[in-house]
Amino acid sequence: MSEGAEAFADLTEADLRAVFEGADYVADEELVTAVYLSLKLGKPLLVEGEPGSGKTELGKVLAEGFETDLVRLQCYEGLAAEHTLYEWNYTKQMLAVQSGEGNVEGGGSGGNVEGGESDVVESQGDGSSGESVFSEEYIFERPLLQALTHEGPTPPVLLIDEVDRADEEFEAFLLEVLSDFQASIPEYGTVSADQRPVVVITSNRTRGLSDALKRRCLYCYVEPPEFEAELEIVRRKVPELDATVAAEVCGIVQELREEAFLKQPGVAETLDWARAVATLRSNGDDSDLTAEEIQRSVGTLVKEAEDVQRIDAQLLERLEAAARDAREAVES
Amino acid sequence: MPTDTPDFGAARDHVLREVVRFARKLRLAGATVPANAGLSATEALVEVGLSDRARVRGALHATLVTSARDSETFDELFPEFWYRLRTGLEATASVADGEQWGDRGADERDGNTDVDGALSDPSAGDSADSTELRDGESEDDPEGELEVRSRRIADTAAPPEDIDGDDERSSTFSAVGESTAIDEETTGGDRLDENAVRRFEGALATLAGRRWSRSREGVAVDVRGALRESLATGGVAVTLPARERERSAFSACVLVDVSQSVLDAVDRGFLLSVLDALVADGRSVRVFFFDTDIREVTDVFARQRGDPAAALERSEVTWGGGTQIGASLATLRQRWPHAVDRQTATVVISDGLDVGELDDLESGMAWLARRSGAVVWLNPLAASPRYEPTCRGMAAALPYVDALFAFGGNDDLRDVARQIGRYGPGGPVGYEHDFRDRSPVGDESGAGGNDTGNDRAGRTEATQS
Repeated sequence: MSEGAEAFADLTEADLRAVFEGADYVADEELVTAVYLSLKLGKPLLVEGEPGSGKTELGKVLAEGFETDLVRLQCYEGLAAEHTLYEWNYTKQMLAVQSGEGNVEGGGSGGNVEGGESDVVESQGDGSSGESVFSEEYIFERPLLQALTHEGPTPPVLLIDEVDRADEEFEAFLLEVLSDFQASIPEYGTVSADQRPVVVITSNRTRGLSDALKRRCLYCYVEPPEFEAELEIVRRKVPELDATVAAEVCGIVQELREEAFLKQPGVAETLDWARAVATLRSNGDDSDLTAEEIQRSVGTLVKEAEDVQRIDAQLLERLEAAARDAREAVES
Repeated sequence: MPTDTPDFGAARDHVLREVVRFARKLRLAGATVPANAGLSATEALVEVGLSDRARVRGALHATLVTSARDSETFDELFPEFWYRLRTGLEATASVADGEQWGDRGADERDGNTDVDGALSDPSAGDSADSTELRDGESEDDPEGELEVRSRRIADTAAPPEDIDGDDERSSTFSAVGESTAIDEETTGGDRLDENAVRRFEGALATLAGRRWSRSREGVAVDVRGALRESLATGGVAVTLPARERERSAFSACVLVDVSQSVLDAVDRGFLLSVLDALVADGRSVRVFFFDTDIREVTDVFARQRGDPAAALERSEVTWGGGTQIGASLATLRQRWPHAVDRQTATVVISDGLDVGELDDLESGMAWLARRSGAVVWLNPLAASPRYEPTCRGMAAALPYVDALFAFGGNDDLRDVARQIGRYGPGGPVGYEHDFRDRSPVGDESGAGGNDTGNDRAGRTEATQS
């Protein structure tokens, strides 16, 4: 058993499937195995896939299923380590020093901190006294530190979302956290996790990730679901939509994914469109989707101007045919 | 046939050997497999057992694959791994009837341990990484029955569809054809849109221009920004934001295939006008012509702006020979090694029709990809809506190319600029993302505003296969 995986020592794949079932999350066998191994081996899971394929949802489902906290770190260009780990409360520090309640000697506190100095420093030569301003009281905990210092019976789920948006420097910084599940704060000491958080890293593949990061992770690519799986998702998430209309919606989305669009519709877009159709048909109408209806609401599915331009009469005809086929497949 | 006692050691060695072998075959097929993947894969197998093919596949996929593009390779090689694993285990094992090797669930129920127990040995991982195939063991021997498809595009992809024989014109493709002098009258065709070229240059700009922007990598301090941010911390500048010059200057190495097949596919006047504009506008642009040999022609373009054909003729530059891209790249590497660097975008204009040594082409492209900031391939044949990069030269070069685009006219340049400007050369860009309505060959009604290049390209594609 890997270090940090004790919390999931008795977990079986059946338990994991039950967690997904309970959250109405439709996961294929490959994803279940990858998540299972991630939990058992205590390794971060790198999930790649097109936007809207349910990667972020995976982290939320795991947190909800294991009744633990979800710590989410949304990555973006220019994200710096201090924004993800900790920040000093400068204003409070300055006020403490000016009022003589704190001093600027090295800090450190109990808990899991190693290498720090004592909390309270005796009276200094300059007359200042009291607690060091480099102690826990003056720290803003950011997501990574929150995940490392989490207390509770089950480790938290740390969701590092869209890591490909962050810079390579941030990836390098992540390596320390993901290797040893500890982080160094120069003025404070090294903070290490009592129990390893469950780490889910998502990427939309807008750029390649470093080999060093990949080496530390298990990998899973979330493919767009097949027709049956997508229909199951729509039925669970949008129960108000008639089943045959839901089939038509999924048939059309499958057909659209065959087109060389700049942005392929993901499951999130399918659900948006299904909800849009359900809203437009609030009277429970279960008749066939028409070309006009498709064109009117297709903005929830296709979100690039160039892609919208490509939906012409010919394509609409094909979409209607795909919808008919899907309806017939379900009805039979 | 089963013997009296299960040979756990042999079974464990067999599994470790096969995992290492599988990882090695993935690497040989071009997949990126981390160095510690064998260890991770073995740990994963301990958790999932060895009896269920889907679980073993899932476990190995999670640990050995690090990129979606490697999944196809994995799926091609996994059946062979599975076959070897099972047949080896069956040969080694002497389990009781009905008992499954490595079925962890069954083991837990029965209270037994088998090969999983052996795999969970802490030293097993080290063995996995260091286990070598025995001498004489053939990597290509799948023990008989499995056919494993090769990953190489050129080997697996079907040849392009034949185009109706109505097309009367065809291009000449020869690997060793003789070069001819450039005719001064090589003008006309599509009139170059300078704006399209400027947009193209802007999209591929790699050098710092005059404008400043905030950047974490910048070496200059953004004083104004620091003062603004210090307002939130009582006037104390906690961090010093950095800034750098925006990349807006174009530096490129342009490699132009001037073999007969390319000259038949492109509008020659347009090609020369583009090169002329690139040399004039770029901060550092070097142009090389290659067919069976490579020569630099930057000076010729620089000497006489506006009439490159005349300048080339006067300089006795020839074109229209055969094609040996790999050999030309090797010469470039030897004679002009500093023509490309990380600050340079390499633009290759070629149809990829090459009968030289594929190894030379691959190593040349690998060098280009390593040295260049980006490698963009402009292929006149890709202007055809039916184009597929299946010819051997293009297929071999493709893995090293950041983006492959059509090259036939101003619209193609604009589309390159639009796509790269928006997503970058490493993004979802290329001819396959060209959304313009391009009518098939033979449709005289026009091709989305494109010019004669499309028609020529389509016909050339038909004849090269």
